[in-house]
Amino acid sequence: MSRLELSDLQKTFGDQRAVRDFTLTVEDGELVSFLGPSGCGKTTTLRMTAGFETPDSGSIVVDGSDVTDMPPNRRGMGMVFQGYALFPNMTAAENVEFGLAVRKRPTAERRTRVSELLELFGLAHVAGSYPHQLSGGQQQRVALARALAVQPGVLLLDEPLSAVDAKVREELRTEIRRMQVQLRITTILVTHDQSEALSISDRVVVMNRGAIEEVGTPAQIYAEPRSAFTAGFIGAMNEIPVRVVSGTHGQIERRGQRVTAPGAEGLPEGELAVLLVRPESLEPLQATSEVLNGDLTLRGRVEVQTFLGATTRLLLREQPAGPDDRYALPSSRRLAVDVASASAGQWPAGSELSVRIPVGSSRVIADRSAAPAAPAGLAPSIESVSRSSARG
Amino acid sequence: MSGGSMTGEATEETLPAIVAGAHAERLVRRRTRRRTRTPAWAAVVLGAAAVYFLVPLYATAVFGFSTGKAFTLQPLFAGLADDGFHSSLLLSLGYAIVTTCLALVVVAPTAYLVELRFPGLRSTIEFVSILPFVIPPIILTVGLSTVYGIRSPVNLISSEWAPVLLVGGYFVLTLPFAFRAIDNALRAVDVRMLSEAAASLGASPVHTFLRVIVPSISLGLVSAALLAFTTAMGEFTIAALLGYPTFPVYLLNVNAYLPREGEALVLVSFFITWAGVLALAAVARRAPGTQIVRGGPM
Repeated sequence: MSRLELSDLQKTFGDQRAVRDFTLTVEDGELVSFLGPSGCGKTTTLRMTAGFETPDSGSIVVDGSDVTDMPPNRRGMGMVFQGYALFPNMTAAENVEFGLAVRKRPTAERRTRVSELLELFGLAHVAGSYPHQLSGGQQQRVALARALAVQPGVLLLDEPLSAVDAKVREELRTEIRRMQVQLRITTILVTHDQSEALSISDRVVVMNRGAIEEVGTPAQIYAEPRSAFTAGFIGAMNEIPVRVVSGTHGQIERRGQRVTAPGAEGLPEGELAVLLVRPESLEPLQATSEVLNGDLTLRGRVEVQTFLGATTRLLLREQPAGPDDRYALPSSRRLAVDVASASAGQWPAGSELSVRIPVGSSRVIADRSAAPAAPAGLAPSIESVSRSSARG
Repeated sequence: MSGGSMTGEATEETLPAIVAGAHAERLVRRRTRRRTRTPAWAAVVLGAAAVYFLVPLYATAVFGFSTGKAFTLQPLFAGLADDGFHSSLLLSLGYAIVTTCLALVVVAPTAYLVELRFPGLRSTIEFVSILPFVIPPIILTVGLSTVYGIRSPVNLISSEWAPVLLVGGYFVLTLPFAFRAIDNALRAVDVRMLSEAAASLGASPVHTFLRVIVPSISLGLVSAALLAFTTAMGEFTIAALLGYPTFPVYLLNVNAYLPREGEALVLVSFFITWAGVLALAAVARRAPGTQIVRGGPM
């Protein structure tokens, strides 16, 4: 239970700036996730916090005391590694006991604490097993128990679930959150898995190219992303080109349809902007000639249907108006529309479909071309579509 | 076994994965075939090697355990009863043990630090460690006796510190084996991650090395100890030139005037070494957690 302040951290490896201008305060008992693609600087920031990397400048303060130059073994932080990092020569119980033994705690206290933790993580029956005799999930539980045994002020989790299979991952992340809330332990979770970050964090820090892209609660990050990068990285997001008609009134226009949309206020008039809208917000229209008040429509041909369980994703290709169509969807992208699987049969591949774009659940951002492209596989691209269909 | 599981997984994967899986399976099959059918040339090589190693042993035994006409253990008993045998064996054992300890104490922490903190120094350390292969022991000894000889300002050779030269020489000769064995073991475990995990739990670097790293590389340490010990036990050139009556030097002398006794003792030393090797290997096999060091997921 500690308050962690990271101020203006900078780190360069060779000529590559790994982390820049990183400032963040993690409140007592808060779980903050660092989310971003590989190479975005999230792990480097975590390692600087742990003391395994030294920042070029900036400071790391825990409960008011500066630990920037303190060796890792004196920082009192617990860490869980992606590859478990269990000591191969020690049993599960000995691994959990290690930190207590280092601190020279009395034997009776050590035994009690170890058996409590093993019990808590459902590991009592494997206390005497060596790491190579345990499953991935069990090994990661031992690693968690080991990190918590020393009652660290701050718990650092470096992609702790990426090496375990999907079912165990879900179980473990719930367990981590339960434990973290119960012990009110200040925690940083590094992950590239957006569902992991959104499901268990109090706040999410989205990182890109070494810097913080944005910080917010999972709901804010998901519903109101402030950048195209966040929008593309968190869940699937459609990016629809529009033109700003009036920055003063927040009015945009697309193919003759003029609406007022959130986020358009203050954008330069006459310039192109991007309307961001989630696939689940789009609604198929029954009648193509339906007149809408205040919302946009888009018409296209269904190219692929991807079954996702409760919903089915339709990928729509809009016919471009010409070679210089400035409203054309980004090349290789299609409009993703999520519909209930039960009704998906109405729109087989090849059929025409009009969708309503409710501007109330969308957001306009500027300068699409300057924003980095969303990582492959997250935004609906034609490549990911062909991969999905090959799998089916 | 692995071929079967690979096929099972591939059916749920994408098309490229299926293709890759099938390719991998073919490779596995091809390898398995190679493994099960021993080619004729391998048997020939194995047979030739066996002849090369066993014939001299057999000849030594025939010569050492006979009067020239009949089998007898008399040369063996005579050899074992000789005072020189006991003193030289003890001398060699003593120096070999000191050399082995020195090799472990110096090489293990060095290799650990190179792996963890100074990866840039690896090529330099590797080069230094193989120098004994390039510089023959005789050159080493001449160098040692010049630098630390009677005319040198650091005259060790006629002082009570003279054994340091012998152990130092032995130590240099053991470097290639000790470094290689320990370095391989360190590279088989994730030294960096284990060290960081120990540090995050509050362990000092020394505590981490002794309690986490050393037990994790025990097999490598045992191999290094074995190689260092046998190298030191069998070393002749440095001991002979520096004037130490070690066991190999004694064996050569005995051979000169009592050849049958000498050969009988050569066999004894051969079996002592083998017993030592097997005993250490047995200890290593029982060390906990060594499976991790021995076999990865492949």
